[in-house]
Amino acid sequence: MTTTDRERFIEQVREHHAGLRGFVRSLGVDPLWVDDVAQEAFIVAYNRLDEFDRARDFGAWLRGIARNLVINERRKDARRKRILSDNLTEVLIASSSANDDEPEEMGDYALARLNALKECVRGLPEKSLRLLRSRYEDEHSAQDIAAAFSMNPPAVRKALERLRTALRECMEERVALSPAR
Amino acid sequence: MSSRTDDELLRSLLDGELEESLRCELAARLKADPELASRCAWELGFSEWIRQALVGDAIEAERSFLGALQSDSLPIGDLLGHIRDGSASSFECDQVVKHLWGAPAAAQGLRRRLAEDEWLRLAVSSSKSEQAFIESLETRMWAETGQDRFVEDFAKRFERELTALPGGIEAERVVPLCRVGRVTMLRLFGAAAAIALGAFALAQVAVGRLGSAPALASVMKSTPDAIWIEGASPQNDGTLRPGLYELKSGVVSMRLTGGGELTVEGPARFEVGEDASTEVHAGIALARTPGKEVGMALSSRGLNISEPGRLVGIDARNEGATEAIVFDGDGGICLDGSGKCRDLSKFEAVKVDHLRDRLVDVPYNPRAFSKAWAMVAGVEDNLGPVTIELPGSVISAAGGAEGEVRVFVENESFRPDGGVEVDRLAVGAFAAAGPNPGEALESNGELRSYLVQLTPSVSEGREEAIETSLTFDHPVVGVIFSSDRLEDSDATVGSVLAEEARRGLESGEDEILLSEDRHTLNLRFRGGADHAEQVRVLVALN
Repeated sequence: MTTTDRERFIEQVREHHAGLRGFVRSLGVDPLWVDDVAQEAFIVAYNRLDEFDRARDFGAWLRGIARNLVINERRKDARRKRILSDNLTEVLIASSSANDDEPEEMGDYALARLNALKECVRGLPEKSLRLLRSRYEDEHSAQDIAAAFSMNPPAVRKALERLRTALRECMEERVALSPAR
Repeated sequence: MSSRTDDELLRSLLDGELEESLRCELAARLKADPELASRCAWELGFSEWIRQALVGDAIEAERSFLGALQSDSLPIGDLLGHIRDGSASSFECDQVVKHLWGAPAAAQGLRRRLAEDEWLRLAVSSSKSEQAFIESLETRMWAETGQDRFVEDFAKRFERELTALPGGIEAERVVPLCRVGRVTMLRLFGAAAAIALGAFALAQVAVGRLGSAPALASVMKSTPDAIWIEGASPQNDGTLRPGLYELKSGVVSMRLTGGGELTVEGPARFEVGEDASTEVHAGIALARTPGKEVGMALSSRGLNISEPGRLVGIDARNEGATEAIVFDGDGGICLDGSGKCRDLSKFEAVKVDHLRDRLVDVPYNPRAFSKAWAMVAGVEDNLGPVTIELPGSVISAAGGAEGEVRVFVENESFRPDGGVEVDRLAVGAFAAAGPNPGEALESNGELRSYLVQLTPSVSEGREEAIETSLTFDHPVVGVIFSSDRLEDSDATVGSVLAEEARRGLESGEDEILLSEDRHTLNLRFRGGADHAEQVRVLVALN
């Protein structure tokens, strides 16, 4: 495999992975299995590339594949399921669109949003960053974080909620200013 | 109304023997007697617990039941929080579903929050980085397709399809990520943290290791890039005493006093116990037990390898999950303290989700073990374009690059149950590989079988010979290159070829040399492209 081939491959995955992973999570897939489902969608897409309608948006096609994979999860036995709950996934799938008009933050602009979010995270104060890492990188519960930060659990939940709101606003602001859109 | 008592009806219900007519009668009695109804509900619930306890999920059932009781009074905000952090029970999920039912805007809102959470993970977690995702996708593609060139093919096909779109791919939408600097920093922080955390433990065990404790393992082989963390390395003579060890980079193979072998790929942290048990705390490891009589106690972060099989791999690189994969033999794996166990056969894998104490099946994907496998395979290439294929690779004439020599480990270990005829080969000099009377294989002990295959050239003619040189850890006791003998020995070694093809080296143009110490095999391929040029190599393990 040449370096160029690998770069091309990376570019394709880079283009779509963030939106796809967000989309998969938004259908109630267990956070630990999100990447697994998203990767499966890429593999199915590869195997069915001949069926791809060039008039369609590629990202939307990928999301359609992922959507079907998640629907199929409901038929699996409990041990193999990658979703949190059949009922929850059903209601979330019902609110998602099988067409190309998925909200843009879950669609093809996700990469720009992710990059904006990374910039916003870099600008966080040290303590906020540690809190965020505890939750999203180390996957600690609010209870555990509370003990580590000498806070009480409701305060941790509140702080995380405020952080998410601040990051959302920062991300939207950056995306709006970005020439890439 | 029947003459049966309440207790009798209840027992029949619990035993699954209550007839339709009596069910109606029981229903009427329950309606009239709340105390009986409550007892019935409790008994049915308890029956469910027993059912789940029998399949090893008792703790989960209890947790779920208690969780359901507690979450009944939780406000919707907290329930949504549990959904977002992935800890929601099915009862809590149903509570949320009730809230979202008929409220598409609320469902849409939750979907956005979930997607945002995923991006936050992507933004702050190195294990969720774009790089990690791409690498993982590559290895999975390999597992799904069984061929190495998936990525190349993927890139070309996607480019062909997508560039035909109106406007093609908009390059400006791909925003550079400045990934290298960030990942490097994270790795540095990670390494620093690991060293700091490990320092105390290392100090604790150093006394034991430097003392008079007996050596329980010794280093057999290392790659040139093998670097140990100071204070957590084997003795100067290559022996390992009880304690914690940390390999910064490279691959190292060790033999334990019990006869088992452990190969680790850095960065890795593992511990040798006073009973010669080994625990892998982080990194990639391969454990081999040479025979049933050889025991090996192996564990990794709550994952206990109760039956290691003949060759088992552990991938403990990610904090939240550990994977175990059986490459050869039958294995057994248990999750400490939960009573959850799984039997694993060859080419099966499980993942432990540490956050939720779950043991789940995952697809067989050996790619993570590529480097460690190169050391464990027992063959090294000295010359030419050689690929040591991973276990489970499909033996096929297709799949390799033109002129590439691929080496498959066909059978890790076997004892031929009948006579095996091999080709006659003098040692110490190149000889043409052609028709010969053959001879019976002399060795009756444990053998390993390799298949060496040249990927045929589709270009017209081959101007120069393709030469390769392979050195085996164990002495070569038999070489098979004639078509009939290859076919005859397929069943003995348990080899399955993907397609029917003419095979072997029979043109008389190819040359073969076995060194006098019987460890090195040199091959000069000159034959045509119309058949699979294969050589089976049998080595004696003991």
